[in-house]
Amino acid sequence: MKKVAVMTDSNSGISQEDAAKLGITVIPMPFTIDNVDYYEGVNLTQEEFYKLLDAGGDVLTSQPSPDSIMDAWDNVLKTYDEIVYIPMSSGLSGSCQTAYMLASDYDGKVFVVDNQRISVTQRQSVIDALELAKRGKSGSEIHDILIEDKFSSSIYIMLDTLKYLKKGGRITPAAAALGELLKIKPVLQIQGEKLDAFAKARTLSSGKSIMFNAVRDDANKRFGGLDPNNIMIYVAYTAGTDVEAFEKEVKEEFPEFEITRSEPLSLSISCHIGRGAVGFACIKKLRYDEC
Amino acid sequence: MTKEETNVSNKTIDSIMLSKMFLAGAKNLDSKKEWINELNVFPVPDGDTGTNMTMTIMSAAKEVATLTSDDMETLCKSISSGSLRGARGNSGVILSQLLRGFTKVIKETNELDVKIIADACEKAVETAYKAVMKPKEGTILTVAKGVSTKARELADAGEEDISKFLEEVIDYGNKTLEKTPEMLPVLKQAGVVDSGGQGLMVVLQGAYDLYLGKDVDITVMESTVTPGVSKVDSYKESIDSEDIKFGYCTEFIIMLDKAFNIKQELDFKAYLESIGDSIVVVADDEIVKVHVHTNDPGMAIQKALMYGSLSNMKIDNMRLEHRENLVRHNEKGELEVKDDVEISAVYKQPEETPEPVMEHKDDAFIAISVGSGMDEIFKSLGVDYVISGGQTMNPSTEDIINAIEKLNADNIFVLPNNKNIILAANQARDLTSDKNIVVIPTKTIPQGISALIGYVPGSSAEENEKMMTESIECVKSGEVTYAVRDTMIDDKEIKSGDYMGIGDGKILSVGAKLENVVLDMIDNMVDDSTELISIYYGEDIDESKAQSLVKKVTKRHKGCEVELQYGGQPIYYYIVSAE
Repeated sequence: MKKVAVMTDSNSGISQEDAAKLGITVIPMPFTIDNVDYYEGVNLTQEEFYKLLDAGGDVLTSQPSPDSIMDAWDNVLKTYDEIVYIPMSSGLSGSCQTAYMLASDYDGKVFVVDNQRISVTQRQSVIDALELAKRGKSGSEIHDILIEDKFSSSIYIMLDTLKYLKKGGRITPAAAALGELLKIKPVLQIQGEKLDAFAKARTLSSGKSIMFNAVRDDANKRFGGLDPNNIMIYVAYTAGTDVEAFEKEVKEEFPEFEITRSEPLSLSISCHIGRGAVGFACIKKLRYDEC
Repeated sequence: MTKEETNVSNKTIDSIMLSKMFLAGAKNLDSKKEWINELNVFPVPDGDTGTNMTMTIMSAAKEVATLTSDDMETLCKSISSGSLRGARGNSGVILSQLLRGFTKVIKETNELDVKIIADACEKAVETAYKAVMKPKEGTILTVAKGVSTKARELADAGEEDISKFLEEVIDYGNKTLEKTPEMLPVLKQAGVVDSGGQGLMVVLQGAYDLYLGKDVDITVMESTVTPGVSKVDSYKESIDSEDIKFGYCTEFIIMLDKAFNIKQELDFKAYLESIGDSIVVVADDEIVKVHVHTNDPGMAIQKALMYGSLSNMKIDNMRLEHRENLVRHNEKGELEVKDDVEISAVYKQPEETPEPVMEHKDDAFIAISVGSGMDEIFKSLGVDYVISGGQTMNPSTEDIINAIEKLNADNIFVLPNNKNIILAANQARDLTSDKNIVVIPTKTIPQGISALIGYVPGSSAEENEKMMTESIECVKSGEVTYAVRDTMIDDKEIKSGDYMGIGDGKILSVGAKLENVVLDMIDNMVDDSTELISIYYGEDIDESKAQSLVKKVTKRHKGCEVELQYGGQPIYYYIVSAE
C-alpha cells in the first residue's frame, strides 16, 4: 500500500498548529501589503491584517511561489509515496493552475484536486482525503472521489459592505452592479468557480433567513435530504461579527444538527469581503465505506 | 339638436345616436372630474378618481370622434379598445371593463332596444366583476350592478320606451350610489359616496341628457380629440399635451378681497390645472394675474369670483386658427391610420426611452415611480424602464404596454408601486401575448423596492414571483402629505391643510406640524423587530431639514439604522419604510 500525504493551503482555515496535529502540510498564502510580504498564519495574524486593511493598506493577494510549493512537495515525498494537494478553488486563485503545472514534473506522484472549494468546505475535503488515505485509497482514487463530490457543498455569506469586493474585482458583473444607492447587504454564494451574488437583503434578519432557506433548499434538492446523517452545517464569519449570537440562531433553526463553527474566514477571502460578514455552509457527508 | 331630428323611434338607439351619447357621457365626466376627485376617502392631494376615469373614457372618445364609418361594430370596437388601452387607476380599469362587456353584446346588433341594453348591462357587470380579484361592495361595481338589475327588471316587465327606461335606470343607479356609504364604512365616516360609482352615473347622465335632446355640447369633445397641433408644449404627461386640448385662451385680473395665502394660491392653481393648461398665476397682495387655456372659461371665471372682482378680461378662441389643420387630419379618415398616428405621437416618452436596441435578457423590470430621486433608485436596483407616474397622474394601461413593448426580455416584472395602478398593470399583462408579464402587486414605493431586492437572478419567473411577493410583506410603508378637505377617518379628525401620515391603508398620524406628524407616523411603524428605517424626502423638502429629521428619528429609535435618500417625489413630503 502506498503512503499518501495530504496537503492544502491556508485558505482551508487550518492553522499551522492544527496541521501538525493532523499530520498534514499547510502552505501559507502570501500577501503583499504596502509592498511588504506576509504569510498567512506565519507572520500575519487576523488582527494585524485587519489593522492594515482598515488603515487603507494596499492589500494584494498572491499565490504561493512555485519554489515554496516544490520545496514542500519534495520534503513530503521523502517520507510519502504520493501527495494529494487540495488548493483553494481555481475560480478564486491561480494557485491551482500553477500547482497543476508543477505536478506534471512529479511523475504522477502529486495529485492536485481542483474541487473548487474554499474555507470550511476545503477543510472538509482535507479531512475526507486523510480518512480515505487511512482506508488505503491511492492518491489517484482520492483525487477522483473528491472531484466527483465537488458540488456537494455550498457556502452563503452575507456581507456588511460591497466595498472590498468591488475593489478586488472578484465578483461577477451582476453582483458588482448591486447597491449603488441604497444600503444593501448582498448574500453571496460560493459554489464552483466564483463568488456570485445569490440574493440581496436590507436587514440582517432578512439576510439570515435567506441563507437558512437557501441551505435547506440545497440540502433537500441537491444533497439528498436535510438529515443530520447526511449533512454537516458550518458557521463561518469574518472578524467583527457577533458569531456566538449567530451560531445560537443557527442552532435554533437546525436543532437536530451539530453546528461547527469554523475559524474566521481566511485572509484571502477576508480581503474581498471585509469585516462583519456572516456565513453559513452545508456539506454533504462523504460516505467513506461507499467510495 | 333635438330628439326628433336624431332619433325617429323612441324604442331604439342607432349607432349614430349611441356614438353621440357616448361622447356626451365622456364630456359630462370631463366637466365634473374635479368634483369627483374630491370624493376620495383619503383627503390626499392626489385623490384622482375623476381624472383617471376621464382619461380612460377620453381615450375611447378620441377614437369614436374620429370614426368615419358609422356601423355599430366599428363604434363598439373603438369604445372597447380605446378605453381598455387608456385605462388608468382602479375605477378607470373597471369602467373600461364595463364598456368592454357592454359593447360585446351590442356589437352584434344594428340598433339597441331596451332588451338589448339590459343584456349588455348584465354582460358589462359580469365582465367588470371578473376583472377585480376581490370585488368589494359599495363601489362602482355595486352601482353598475344596480343599474343592470333595474334594466333587467324593466325589460322583463315589458318596458319599451327608451326614454322612460333610461330615466328609471339612472334614477335607480343614483339611489344605489347613495347607499354606498352604508356598505363601506370608510365612505360613511368620510361623508362621501363612492367616487367611481359617481363617475359612472355622471357618464350615464350625460348620455341620457343628449338623448333627451338637451343642449349638450359635444363639439368641444370632437376638436379636443383631434390630433392636430403636436409638440407645442413640452409637458411630460403626454396624453393631453400633444393635442390642442383647450380651446380658449382666457386671461383676467382678480382684484382680491383680501390677500391670497399660499394655500389659496395652490388650490386655485390646482383648480385651473383641472380645467386647462398653460397656466400662469401671479399674485401680489391686491391683485392676481391669471392666464389659462381651457374649454370652459366660465369655470375659471366663476372660481376666480370667489376671491374678488375681475377686470381686464380677454377670451380668445384658439381653435379658429387651427381649423384648417384639424380638417386636414380628419380627412385622412381611416381609424387604423389614426390609431398609429395617435399612439406614436401621444405616448412617446423621450426622456425615458432606453437604448434603442436592447440586448435580450431573461428578466426585465418596469417600475412606476414618482420623482427624479426615486427614478434613480429604481434604476440602481436594476429596473430597465421607469414609468414616471407624474404629479397626480397614474399611467394608463397603454403606457405600461408601451414600456413592455420596448423591452427585449422573456419575462417582464411590472411593479405598479401604487394600489391604484395594479389593475391597469394587470390589464396590460392580459393584453400582452408575446412575453411573460408578471405583475407584483406592490402598493407603495417601499414595497416596490423590497420586491426588487427580493429578486434572485437565475431563479425561474414563478420562483421570483413568489419571492418578490413575499418580500413585500417584510416592509411597512408610510407616506406624509397634506389633507385637501376636512374629514373623519380611522376615528381621526382631519382638517383641510393638516399633515397626514398614511401607512398601508391607514391614517397613522395627523397634525399641523410636519415634523411631528412624520415622527408620530414612524413611531407607529416601528416595532421590536425593526432594523432599518429608510426615509425618502420629497421635492418640497430641504436636505438640511431632512437631515435634522434623521437625527431625531435616530435618537428615538436607538436600535435602528436610519437611512436618508432623496426621492424627489411631489405631494408626499416624506415616504418612509420600516423593516
